[in-house]
Amino acid sequence: MRDSDALDNNPHVSRLALEAIHSQVYGWALSRCDFDHATAEDLMQQAYVELLSGNARFDNKSTLKTFVFSVVQNLARSRFRRISSRLRLVRQYHQESVTEAIEPAGDDGVWRAVRALPARQRDIIELVFCRELTIEQAAAVMGVTTGTGRVHYDRAKKALRARLQDWAEEE
Amino acid sequence: MNQTDDKLGQQVSRAWREAAAEKSPSFDHVWQAAESRYIGSRQNYRRVASVAALAAAVVVALNWQPPVEETTYIEIAELLESTSWSAPSDVLLPDRKFDIYQDMPVLFESTDPAGGALL
Repeated sequence: MRDSDALDNNPHVSRLALEAIHSQVYGWALSRCDFDHATAEDLMQQAYVELLSGNARFDNKSTLKTFVFSVVQNLARSRFRRISSRLRLVRQYHQESVTEAIEPAGDDGVWRAVRALPARQRDIIELVFCRELTIEQAAAVMGVTTGTGRVHYDRAKKALRARLQDWAEEE
Repeated sequence: MNQTDDKLGQQVSRAWREAAAEKSPSFDHVWQAAESRYIGSRQNYRRVASVAALAAAVVVALNWQPPVEETTYIEIAELLESTSWSAPSDVLLPDRKFDIYQDMPVLFESTDPAGGALL
């Protein structure tokens, strides 16, 4: 069934449905581009253009939220592919410095512990805990199998708990 | 998800929201910008397509030459069959191609000699 405000090139996507998940998608886009708001907004616009043009066509096989998250993920990947090697070096350096500078101070400590996780583990933690996706949906967004998603999820939880426990003991 | 997972999830979610400062721009703002980009990209596509079509037309026009007739060779036998020549005086000949004279034709002698020969 076609909604009254459905997009011309994407009959299963309506503007209202997109508006309902807008803030969550923005949060995901934000973490895709290292929390740079301008880049995240640009990424969002690009994702909406893909939906408007029908280049990214939703076929109702998953939830709209999972689909739009995947679109953002793919756009971010293709956009940053060229500079990914540089970014990896920067992230590696950044993670090392963060790990050294972690302070066990409440939520800020939790945040730093999350930031110190490897990228895939951080992604699945964000998708499951912050974006309220199931592990299966999160794995689909990340483009990995559900089994791999579960492994990342378990490892991320263990790493987070271990780090938080270390800090609690240090206190 | 068990209870400890829930607690961890809440901690992470709260910390993420606070640290990432997720204040998303309004949907309308982003949507309108996306629509303008989409319309702009379509216009650009049309512009590029029309320029390309024009350029192609110019190239075709500049390179156009009248078609040259190909030289063909005709077999001599064919040529001989297709051509014939008849003398203007052939109309004077009888229909049959040869006559068998039954009588000796009377030859009229010329009475006007020219250079020692009879015409």
